[in-house]
Amino acid sequence: MTRRVWDLAHGRSGDKGDVCNIGLIARSPAAYETLLAQVTPERVRTHFNGLIKGSIERFELPNIHAINFVCRGALDGGGTLSLRSDHLGKVMYTWLLRMELDGE
Amino acid sequence: MKSVTLGTGLAFWGDSIRPAIDMVERADIQYLCCDHLAELTMSILNKQKSKKPDLGYTTDIIPFLRGVLVKCRERGIRIISNAGGSNPEACTREVVKLCEELGLYGTKVATVTGDDILGRIDDLLGQGIDLVNTDTGQPLSEIRDKVTHANVYIGCDGIVEALEQGADIVICGRVTDAALYLGPMRHELGWAADDWERLGAGTGVAHCVECGGQATGGLYSGGWQDMQQLASLGYPVTTVYENGEAILSKTPQTGGNVTVGTVSEQLVYEVMDPANYLTADVVADVSQIRLDQVGRDQVRISNVGGKPAPATLKVNMGYRAGFVGEAQFTYTWPDAVKKAKAGLQFLDERLKQVDFQATDRRVEYIGRNSMWGPEVIPNPTEDDLTEIVVRFAARCPTIEDARKVFTESVPLYNNGPAGASGIGTRPPIKELFGIWPCLIPRELITIETSIVEVQQP
Repeated sequence: MTRRVWDLAHGRSGDKGDVCNIGLIARSPAAYETLLAQVTPERVRTHFNGLIKGSIERFELPNIHAINFVCRGALDGGGTLSLRSDHLGKVMYTWLLRMELDGE
Repeated sequence: MKSVTLGTGLAFWGDSIRPAIDMVERADIQYLCCDHLAELTMSILNKQKSKKPDLGYTTDIIPFLRGVLVKCRERGIRIISNAGGSNPEACTREVVKLCEELGLYGTKVATVTGDDILGRIDDLLGQGIDLVNTDTGQPLSEIRDKVTHANVYIGCDGIVEALEQGADIVICGRVTDAALYLGPMRHELGWAADDWERLGAGTGVAHCVECGGQATGGLYSGGWQDMQQLASLGYPVTTVYENGEAILSKTPQTGGNVTVGTVSEQLVYEVMDPANYLTADVVADVSQIRLDQVGRDQVRISNVGGKPAPATLKVNMGYRAGFVGEAQFTYTWPDAVKKAKAGLQFLDERLKQVDFQATDRRVEYIGRNSMWGPEVIPNPTEDDLTEIVVRFAARCPTIEDARKVFTESVPLYNNGPAGASGIGTRPPIKELFGIWPCLIPRELITIETSIVEVQQP
């Protein structure tokens, strides 16, 4: 069966100018380890297939089992300029939750 | 241990006032903290002020105060708000008028200013403060003639001063969201302006609650089905202790829940590097934060640190950046997708006929890829869809060009490919404002606090 990020985590995303941050909160300490190993900035870039134009950095919040992706150039110029319907990046995280993971 | 209890009143311009009304009636709070300003709000407010000099604040503060102020004065709850926007003085005048109307004589209303640097830009450039775009490195000269507003995100010093002078209501302009909470924490808990550990802790707490219902079950993705009564969502009620720890809860007998999950989601909202959460007052470190469920709808926040405040302050500057023209239309079976493409082709040709100018265009298919676009999810190609909704949007240099988009889409009703509907009525044209992030040395900013007492006429 396909395992997705959603099976291991929930999340939220938001905007700061043309930067979209995507936070994932693991559902357990073991899930956190899997996220750290598999949900890398490179994988996130591939999963968004060109929608994120700039750099992607990952930060860790170990005590709440959360990771935070800071994605630059992700909102078509930023909330105030963007032509995208999701100009504030409110649902960017849900696409990341759909990402498929390796293994059972 | 000393403590202070802060309620989140409003979290954005246009937010519902009902959670605050519930809170002042049912929760044991000392302060009601209200954030009305988003990145874009200052552009809108400045535009309003330029048309009418007594506007430029978020007018929702008046119905809000009408709903809560009598109760707040009765219970000694003090209100901190950034509703002043780009015209705090005008906002205060309206608030004073309302107090007079409600017979709340003796109410002290403070105004905090010093964030507006629009009139100082040329002087600052002359002094060698270059105000370059910190994201792109571009010089300000590229947009200088299009600047609509320039406000510095200032910290909580003015709020602390106002509270020390006995203010019951504090009206600010572009203070940081966190300052609305950090001000009363410093005032009540006696934290020094350079007590970085505690200021960092307080800022972390403020970040958790400043978006209101987003910490108490609103938008919660972890188990959204389990969130009850979201339509009557309770807003955060937070007790902050002298040592910087806090208990986050919500108004009793309201909807939603406060759990480690709901607070975690809010914690990661709009955060960049969690070890360096930059504000005017402190650089908070939330990377090692601990959240513990200590009771039903009670989460303890601890282990947040802080480092010295940055030498520069962030400027929120906006500039006019054109207009968006939009059109939306629906095609139905048979051949819905093919017709949608023909409809787009029709629109494109009509726009060419009227010499339409646009710098960028975007097509999204609602119900298919409107949230992420064709980069992420390919446009539809199926033969058998019952309906497909097309959204076309373009960035245009002039409002006239932006208007052409809808105008030229209307003939789709009778002249275009068969089976078009759902065109709707003419949408308002959206003016675009770019945000120009830049920095200013903090010593160039002076915060001023003034206070008036509402007098019986």
